[in-house]
Amino acid sequence: MSRAWLAVLAAVVVLPLTVRHAIATEIWIFAIFGLGLNLLLGYTGLLSFGQSTFFGSAAYVAGYLLKQYAINVFVALAIGVVVGAVSAALVGYLCVQRSGLYFIMLTFALNQMFYFIAYQWTTVTGGEDGMPGIGRPALLGVDFRNPLAYYVFVAALFLLSLWIMKRIVESPLGKILQAIRENDVRAEAVGYDVPSFKLLAFIIGGGFSGLAGVLYAMLFGIVPLEAIGFVFSGNVVFATLIGGSGSLYGPIIGSFVFIWLSESVSVVWERWPLLLGVAFVIVVLFFRGGCVEAWARFWSWRERRRALEGIAQ
Amino acid sequence: MALLRTETLTKAFGALTAVNGVTLEVQAGTLHSIIGPNGAGKTTLFNLLTGQFPPTSGRIVFDGRDITGTPAHRIAHLGLARSFQRTNVFPALSLLDNAWIAAFARGRSWRGLVWRRSDGYAEVAERARAALADVGLADKADQPAREISHGEQRQLELAIALAAAPRVLLLDEPAAGLSPDEMQKMVALVRGLKGRYTIVLIEHKMDIIMGVSDRVSVMHFGSLIAEGTPAEIQRNPEVRRAYLGGMVAE
Repeated sequence: MSRAWLAVLAAVVVLPLTVRHAIATEIWIFAIFGLGLNLLLGYTGLLSFGQSTFFGSAAYVAGYLLKQYAINVFVALAIGVVVGAVSAALVGYLCVQRSGLYFIMLTFALNQMFYFIAYQWTTVTGGEDGMPGIGRPALLGVDFRNPLAYYVFVAALFLLSLWIMKRIVESPLGKILQAIRENDVRAEAVGYDVPSFKLLAFIIGGGFSGLAGVLYAMLFGIVPLEAIGFVFSGNVVFATLIGGSGSLYGPIIGSFVFIWLSESVSVVWERWPLLLGVAFVIVVLFFRGGCVEAWARFWSWRERRRALEGIAQ
Repeated sequence: MALLRTETLTKAFGALTAVNGVTLEVQAGTLHSIIGPNGAGKTTLFNLLTGQFPPTSGRIVFDGRDITGTPAHRIAHLGLARSFQRTNVFPALSLLDNAWIAAFARGRSWRGLVWRRSDGYAEVAERARAALADVGLADKADQPAREISHGEQRQLELAIALAAAPRVLLLDEPAAGLSPDEMQKMVALVRGLKGRYTIVLIEHKMDIIMGVSDRVSVMHFGSLIAEGTPAEIQRNPEVRRAYLGGMVAE
């Protein structure tokens, strides 16, 4: 097992001992959301500014079924993944026809469209008030109303998601998506239907977003309107960039930094987004690879210093 | 038999006719060069052959099959591989991955596309390594493409085309921007590929063409003005007037 996996496992164990269970749970949910985005952003080079479309749609649909029919948790999760993937297929199909700025604006515009549907359709979504009353049905005798039990469940699903994403990025698909990021004209010329591959990345990313959306709805017992809003879409992009979009583990670190800042510092200091802004500027100016790159640079700097000291003696 | 054939192929961009009624036959196993000054329409002809964009009129026939209007990614699967005049590689990927991507595209099956580990395709990796070895880059396989020299990137450009196991290799000025030394190396490389592949070579430097070509077609303002063996082309008065002009001492 690699060092990265050991670090992730250690974090899974230590986190609920140091912060409130709800925050710890939210960190892993947001990390799943980030993993899905990063397949697009980091691996395929597509800046999607509309990931909350899939997150929110899945949260509403699965949340509604949980509320009305108290369906099985696994069924709810499966429905969330499917809703996320299908909505991503619809949005992705339209977006991959364009590239660059037009692509980004399309993801954003379609996100706004979904947002206003949720805003207007008050009988189902509750509009601005959100959709409350979502329960966490027990599973195999385990009561998920217990925060720690739910944390363990979410953490396990996160580890499963991470493992699946690792398999995907290490598969031929992962390599092809990176080739498309590097040079889409050449990728097309050597025999890959670039729009179809981008769409596939969208669908997979949408599935991850959908899973995160359902877990989020179950965590707070409500789907707030913001869950499908553009701020949420922006947050996952910020978090992933701060963590490092060049690495599989970047979004996890980003999620940790982002949620911890927003949940812990926001209690003490109302203007906490300012900190986030500063962090973002630092990343963009000095560490394009986010925390992952900062960490790697720090280590290589230490190695060099050690080597120099060795020579001096 | 002609492996690749075009019939009155024409491409117009608005008022500009970049390729004008080109009828060309490339025989299997030969090295067929297309020469002409910059702007003669050579690269546009390649873009048509590889499906980068569809022709305005005319037909392209590959191995007896009409491929006019077939999109680029499908044409690659038929076995038409090209190199680009401007270096067009995958900068952040290793040299091996650059070739691997092309080799996988033409692999026998894409089973396990999303799930199998990419290092589990022995046959693909072997073909990618062979392509790198063919152009003399085997020892740099693990370096990212952006870190090698311009000359080496030109070689990699060729390796990507070779890794696709092509039936026809379309080379667009493989020696563009090379130093005299590197150019010698590239010419030797292309000479080594001759006979193993059917090659269509675009070039505007006469000295490179004449030594290696079996057939030469001359393009001028979008049209073919002559075709023949290198010796015939050098003697052709029309070619001398239209293309060589002042370049050849009278």
